[in-house]
Amino acid sequence: MTQRAFAITLKIPDNAAYTALTTLQRLGLALARVERSEIWVVEDAGDASDFAARMERNETIFNPNKHRLTVIDGVAPRAGEMWIEELGAPRAALGRRYVGWRLLDANGSPASDEMLRDAAERLLCNPAIEKAHRA
Amino acid sequence: MNKRIAVLVFPGTNSEEETLRLLRACGGDAHLVHWSNAKLLPKFDAYVLPGGFAYEDRIRAGAIAAHDEMMDYVIEGAGAGKLVYGICNGAQILLEAGLVPGTGDVRRPSAAFTRNGPVPHFICTHVHVKLAIDPQRSPITRGLQRDALVPAWAAHGEGRLAATPEELARLEAGGHVAFVYAHPDGSVDASATPNQSALGCAALVNREGNVLAMMPHPERDGWTYNHPDRRGGNAILAPSGGAIMFRSFVQAVNA
Repeated sequence: MTQRAFAITLKIPDNAAYTALTTLQRLGLALARVERSEIWVVEDAGDASDFAARMERNETIFNPNKHRLTVIDGVAPRAGEMWIEELGAPRAALGRRYVGWRLLDANGSPASDEMLRDAAERLLCNPAIEKAHRA
Repeated sequence: MNKRIAVLVFPGTNSEEETLRLLRACGGDAHLVHWSNAKLLPKFDAYVLPGGFAYEDRIRAGAIAAHDEMMDYVIEGAGAGKLVYGICNGAQILLEAGLVPGTGDVRRPSAAFTRNGPVPHFICTHVHVKLAIDPQRSPITRGLQRDALVPAWAAHGEGRLAATPEELARLEAGGHVAFVYAHPDGSVDASATPNQSALGCAALVNREGNVLAMMPHPERDGWTYNHPDRRGGNAILAPSGGAIMFRSFVQAVNA
């Protein structure tokens, strides 16, 4: 079994991500873009070459009409990204689920770790019920 | 002259009409204030945050609304001692704003009303909540009798109080658990809590006592026609209904 991770994002504009962007901007964070995704970390016994195709066949999490699936290299948040874990949430049969937030700064570059921490503490993570994982 | 109560309407609020109606029926000079009119809020003497799904519960229930301009004024008013009462989604907003339990910094939540347990399903059920503090602890509860039972409807998918064990101990020791779920006879045990809320908590109050966050809806049990046993006809305020909570709030505002 190999641990693999993938992200599911909307193909259409993501209203929740846009609301997060405008709220974080109101809080003073100099951001140009916020991307939201559903992150899954799964134990996989199959081949890496068809991993994405196999995951895309899972209709409970993926709808080809509205979703895009991206396989993540490694099993950790990417640059400018954090994964929010809901503490105490029942584990799904498929694997562990997170909400991924990827923040791009005013230059379009991945947000710094300091900016990610600030965004987590001020909006994206309630530490009473959630944990933020950063790279 | 009666003091003025603002019933806040965020995009996605859906319980403002019944909240307004019951406040007025209980003698309150209540008015709706929409998010586009946030600047009117300083002119009001008290704030009620009704239920609904403010900002579609994006990120988390109450998270975006807690940063809305309206909450700037609510936070300022609460700090000045104005009374603030949040119901259901309004309660979630108050927790996200850090106004309750108020053990941390503003807009840095230390607890949450989150996904129900044992299964994370929406519930809609009639409940009773029991006053778990001395009525004098909060102006908002001063009009209630000790151990008062308030009937209400619980209608939420995210009403379970959750926090770290240390924070829960602080809430209990600090008298922040204002109401607990109870059976209709007033007895309290785990089976009375419909959502596995920590400490059986149905409502939290801040240290100063002027901000109360309650998950179930007393305003949906205000009249006899929405009180389960329909006592006393079909069109009057139910004397044993959720209106007792609103009467107590209005009395406190006008005191």
